[in-house]
Amino acid sequence: MTNIEKYNKAFVDNFNIEEQELSSISYQSISAWDSIGHMGLIASLEETFDIMMETDDIIDFSSYLKGKEILKKYDIEL
Amino acid sequence: MLLENKNVIITGCNRGIGRAILERFASNGANVFACTRKESREFSELIDKLSEKYSVNIFPIYFDASSIEEMRSAVKLIQTAKIPINALINNAGITYNALFQMSTIDKIKEVFDVNFVSPFILTQYISKLMIRQKSGSIINIASTAGIDGNSGRSVYGASKAAIICMTKVISAELGEFGIRANSIAPGMTDTDMLSSMSETLISDSLKTSDIKRVGKPSEIADTAVFLASDLASYITGQVIRVDGGLK
Amino acid sequence: MTSNSKLLKGKTAIITGCLKGIGRATMDLFAQNGADIFACCQFESEEFKHHIEVLSKDTCVLIYPLYFDLCDSEQIKTAIKFIRSAKRNIDVLVNIAGMTQDALFHMTTIDQLKKIFEVNFFSQIMFTQYVTKLMLQNKTGSVINISSISAIDGNMGQLSYSSSKAAIIGATKTMSIELAPYGIRVNALAPGVIKTDMTANLPIDILDKQLGKIKLKYFGFPLEVASSILFLASDMSSYITGQIIRIDGGMQ
Repeated sequence: MTNIEKYNKAFVDNFNIEEQELSSISYQSISAWDSIGHMGLIASLEETFDIMMETDDIIDFSSYLKGKEILKKYDIEL
Repeated sequence: MLLENKNVIITGCNRGIGRAILERFASNGANVFACTRKESREFSELIDKLSEKYSVNIFPIYFDASSIEEMRSAVKLIQTAKIPINALINNAGITYNALFQMSTIDKIKEVFDVNFVSPFILTQYISKLMIRQKSGSIINIASTAGIDGNSGRSVYGASKAAIICMTKVISAELGEFGIRANSIAPGMTDTDMLSSMSETLISDSLKTSDIKRVGKPSEIADTAVFLASDLASYITGQVIRVDGGLK
Repeated sequence: MTSNSKLLKGKTAIITGCLKGIGRATMDLFAQNGADIFACCQFESEEFKHHIEVLSKDTCVLIYPLYFDLCDSEQIKTAIKFIRSAKRNIDVLVNIAGMTQDALFHMTTIDQLKKIFEVNFFSQIMFTQYVTKLMLQNKTGSVINISSISAIDGNMGQLSYSSSKAAIIGATKTMSIELAPYGIRVNALAPGVIKTDMTANLPIDILDKQLGKIKLKYFGFPLEVASSILFLASDMSSYITGQIIRIDGGMQ
């Protein structure tokens, strides 16, 4: 799997949504992405990419697009 | 098996939490004096089934909790067995729901008789046996209503608060004889007693609770097993809430 | 305890502070009860390595030693990565590592206070944040924190220690509320005076005074605290969460 495929899969698996909806979603824009959904997403991404995110980045991870920028800090190119 | 070869007395065994306590204690290897008010075929069958399944001795003892005379006879019967009593579980109790202004004197006396005076007197008798042994564990089934102050529970809650206080004093007075005394405060537990609460009240309470379901009688029973066993050897004078994080 | 009551059969636990005292007793008891264990302590030693080899063989469980300083966030991350790479469901976390440095209130320096909070509180919160993230997927889990009766009652000379342990109480209750949706229970134990290195060097007159307050008239053994940790880790306590349980032989 490529990095972008893994990234998308984490969203799709945690939020039960279609891939085509991904680019527009952000924290609390859909019911599944509440605080509980957020932690599940972060846990999946950390496991998939074998990284440990700083709390500040977990807080800043506010949308699908923002998330891509944040993962660059951990040397994950999407 | 946490209670192998231990002998215990459990009151109110025929249903609900008491029945679950009976089953869990038997499955953990304890011999039980199973106390209940009335003889019945269903109860006898239950005891036979459990004692066979778990290879333990279960003796039924029948007495009305509100009669001191009947209780005295029951204790004499237990004493004739001449075996050490390792744990006493005071579980028998009645519920009562009424707003403060609508709580009657008669009901106050009835609830306190069963929920407080009866276990008080029974524990006086049994703890005397335990003092001679220099060991024993007393477990009293109270309620979160005895701590929290819920609407409609002034009488029931007060009777459970009384048991909680009594338990702490017993632990203070009898600790030096190696006797431990603790209370369990169940929250909302799936028994006949819970059906006296309305559906709305239950679901409202669950909204602010950590674990969003009512408790199972076996979960209360498991905590009683823990407190009766050597796992809890350094715990005394405590009230353990088994309430799923009820607020 | 009879050998046929394996209360943690099939479960995996992470325990910190395994070198001695309550941590060591907990590790031993958990192994006897069928748990595989990530046994964390700060420094490697021959004695510890040998102990866990023998324990693992006697009880037929897996014990992975992990050596790291809880106060070093990079070392925590490395430890978590190792645990994650083992790809096991984590069922239990027991936060036991802790320290004290007694001093009267006016003689407590802010540096001492910060150091004690670092070891007893901040590092444990950070470690628990990481471990519970590993637990989220399971939809079940149990976290046990170690507070102290001094957090509830106060204790002469223990301003820093008792405050750090009181912080654990607040955190435990809040974590219980927040993690319950993931099926994770969080509880704390408040031990009284337990026979460990931490209490071994107390002066005789202080020990006598404490003994006078204990209804059961003896200082507790580490195994007795470990036994309650076992209860809270097991499914026997499945409806217990957000609670602080005193194990003090009756001291209130």
